[in-house]
Amino acid sequence: MSEYVTLTINGAKVRAPRGTSVLDAALDYGICIPHLCHMQGVIPTGVCRLCIVEVIEKGRSKVTTSCTLEAEEGMVILAHTDKILKARKNIAEMLVAEAPNSRAIQDIALKCGVKDVRYPFRNKDCVLCGRCVRACTEIWRSRSLGFVGRGEQRHVALPFDERPEFCKRCNACIDLCPMTITPCDGPMKKGEEYFCGKCESQLSMSEDFVDSCVWCRLGEGFDVTGRHAGRKQEDKR
Amino acid sequence: MRTIACMEDLEKLAEQKRKENRGYSRTVTLCAGTGCCASGCLSVIKALREELERLKLKEKIKIRATGCHGFCEQGPLMVIEPGNIFYCRIKPEDIPEIVAETLQKDRLIERLMYTDPSSGRKIACEAEIPFYKAQDRTVLGQNKLVDPCAVGDYIANGGYSALVKVLTSMKPEEVIDEIKRSGLRGRGGGGFPAGRQWEYCRQAEGEPKYVICNADEGDPGAYMDRSVLEGNPHVVIEGMLIGAFAIGAKHGFIYVRNEYPLAVEHSKIAVEQAGKLGLLGTNILGTDFSFDIKIARGGGAFVCGESTALMASLEGMVGEPRPKDIHTTDKGFKDLPTNLNNVETWANVPFIINKGSSWFASKGTSGSKGTKIFALTGQIRNTGLVEISMGTTLREIIYDIGGGSATGKKIKAVQTGGPSGGCLPEELFDLPVDFEALAEAGSMVGSGGMVVMDEDTCMVDVARYFLEFLLDESCGKCVPCRIGLSRMLEIIKDITEGRGTEEKLELLKDTAETVSVASLCALGKTAPNPVLSTIKYFRSEYEAHIKKKQCPAGVCRELIHYSIDRDKCTGCGVCLTACPHEAITGEKGKVHRIEDDKCRKCGICGEACKFGAIKLS
Repeated sequence: MSEYVTLTINGAKVRAPRGTSVLDAALDYGICIPHLCHMQGVIPTGVCRLCIVEVIEKGRSKVTTSCTLEAEEGMVILAHTDKILKARKNIAEMLVAEAPNSRAIQDIALKCGVKDVRYPFRNKDCVLCGRCVRACTEIWRSRSLGFVGRGEQRHVALPFDERPEFCKRCNACIDLCPMTITPCDGPMKKGEEYFCGKCESQLSMSEDFVDSCVWCRLGEGFDVTGRHAGRKQEDKR
Repeated sequence: MRTIACMEDLEKLAEQKRKENRGYSRTVTLCAGTGCCASGCLSVIKALREELERLKLKEKIKIRATGCHGFCEQGPLMVIEPGNIFYCRIKPEDIPEIVAETLQKDRLIERLMYTDPSSGRKIACEAEIPFYKAQDRTVLGQNKLVDPCAVGDYIANGGYSALVKVLTSMKPEEVIDEIKRSGLRGRGGGGFPAGRQWEYCRQAEGEPKYVICNADEGDPGAYMDRSVLEGNPHVVIEGMLIGAFAIGAKHGFIYVRNEYPLAVEHSKIAVEQAGKLGLLGTNILGTDFSFDIKIARGGGAFVCGESTALMASLEGMVGEPRPKDIHTTDKGFKDLPTNLNNVETWANVPFIINKGSSWFASKGTSGSKGTKIFALTGQIRNTGLVEISMGTTLREIIYDIGGGSATGKKIKAVQTGGPSGGCLPEELFDLPVDFEALAEAGSMVGSGGMVVMDEDTCMVDVARYFLEFLLDESCGKCVPCRIGLSRMLEIIKDITEGRGTEEKLELLKDTAETVSVASLCALGKTAPNPVLSTIKYFRSEYEAHIKKKQCPAGVCRELIHYSIDRDKCTGCGVCLTACPHEAITGEKGKVHRIEDDKCRKCGICGEACKFGAIKLS
């Protein structure tokens, strides 16, 4: 079996090591697929649903998250169809309405083409991307954090709401959290939230390069050092 | 009890049981399904036992307490064989008369017979009742022949003969081919061809393989899986055995809702009995095929009915779905190949093996074969379980079998496929029950819920109700389902409470489409169906709520207004005492008045008034 597979993403032939996810293959090639919950070094869960793509199989299209989809030989992926762009934009809109106090989320929303936010802002502190929980469990093997509750009650919590002895105080949960970097103009108060959209001028510069924008690492910008994500700093762009 | 080693053993046992049954001059079959238990069948059975004991008729008359017969509306039910005499709504007081008249003197009791509401005619024979006549009861029909706790009953009716046939004369590939040819599709909602799924699982790498029976039925109002597992657990076990043989699985699970105590108990008893007969365990029927079944009780979450969530729950983890980019037939329970089918799918398997794939494929439409059980509920006269050939139209189910509206009001819509099915309007009642036809119309066959709604139902309110249910049951893992559904509910509440705008309706539609495209599991993907289908077919109702701030059906409290008709009010004071919020004032004999600021719009005054003086606008 070859160590590499070749697949088609948005018409481009992309070569990737076997076992790579479609999202990683696309990002390495320079095709931007926005993502939030995805991190290197942990098992993908596909919960933010931003990285959805269409897979064409036997003439039928199926929507799935590219982070959970393993690249296979001959696979045909369409990452930017109208259907996907529309859904992705709407998800980003929901996320920014849920948690406008995160620059990462504001940036993602902007990149996904959100112009205005039609939902009332909720200004929550967490969007349950699960980056902290998975880093704690899988990278640091600490299991100090977990999800509690179901549906709207779901939240991240410490066991019995107390910091356990086995917490290694590594701060990975904080470093990896998309909420820790506030928008450029500082934190927004309840009732005064807005969609920032300030970086638009910079974004539009990159739009000339079809599918190869400089923001393709977007959504990981808040992991400053990258040390918890199991990759070297220079690997970051 | 001896173990069964070959076909002859099974036939011998069946003959012995049949002979035992022939020793009785009469068999009284009583439905002891959950529906009839709720209407008091257990005390009826007790009374009958005592009466037969007293008259020393125990050796002559057999009592068989069975699973659900389907006609729950008329329960408790009794069928007396031979004669096929059908009595309904029996009370313990009726028992002495039934024993004395019908069982001893062969005389019918008219009072207990079923009355056909359309003609007013009394019908004595079960087979002639319109509710049963229009059905095709393959799986459910066996319920009334079998005492769920007596394996002998099942064997006497040809039970386990399909298993013996498969083990003695068929290769696993032949079994899979037979199922593929029959066109059996998953009955739990997905509608995936069962034969192909089995084949994938057989070809998958990894040992041991597992088969799972999904009995975590959580749809409100649906109870077909419950009734099959409660009423005839052996047919499910036999189906699983055949499937396991075809797939090459060694272990099986029945994942059953803990809220179904009778189903848990009966399946436990059945597994034990099958084990004693040598039909479960090692070297079944002397072959090298070994298989065991464990009963796992559900974790109490609706989403655990989703296959990957169910497997996570079986592993002892939180019941949350995972992305299905790798199919469960490759990596399912404990990352090993797992084949999951629902109760009804498994129950169909022995029939296909015994009667042949062509028999099964002869029923139904080009893409959907066989029969399907539906739970008919809502504003319908004959509430109950119905089993029909695929391709039967909704109209036939609602009017011919269901007997039409229970309230006498016009039927407006039917919701098919459980909480995440769509609402179809009266104009589409000629649609056949078929996986593709219903999906195209914006609904689904789903697991088989069917809720009938009449004119007094507000479709916006219906959409709100199902959204509330689904949001409550969403695991909350993925963004579209958790945030999307809560946003949808927010908007729909705005609409029902008079704050709706056209932009909000558009946003509702956009959000619904995103949720259905992008959600992680089938719960989220189908959750917007009630909203999308009601917007599609009942847009005028949404518009009335938004533009005129009116609820045409008079359901949404914020948009309705109660007042008293001055001409009709006699001042009797009944409404005044009935009102729980003390919102009605007035002196005796004079016209009363409703104080708007106190009125909570409960409608109790309207029900209490004998003169029709309470106006709803």
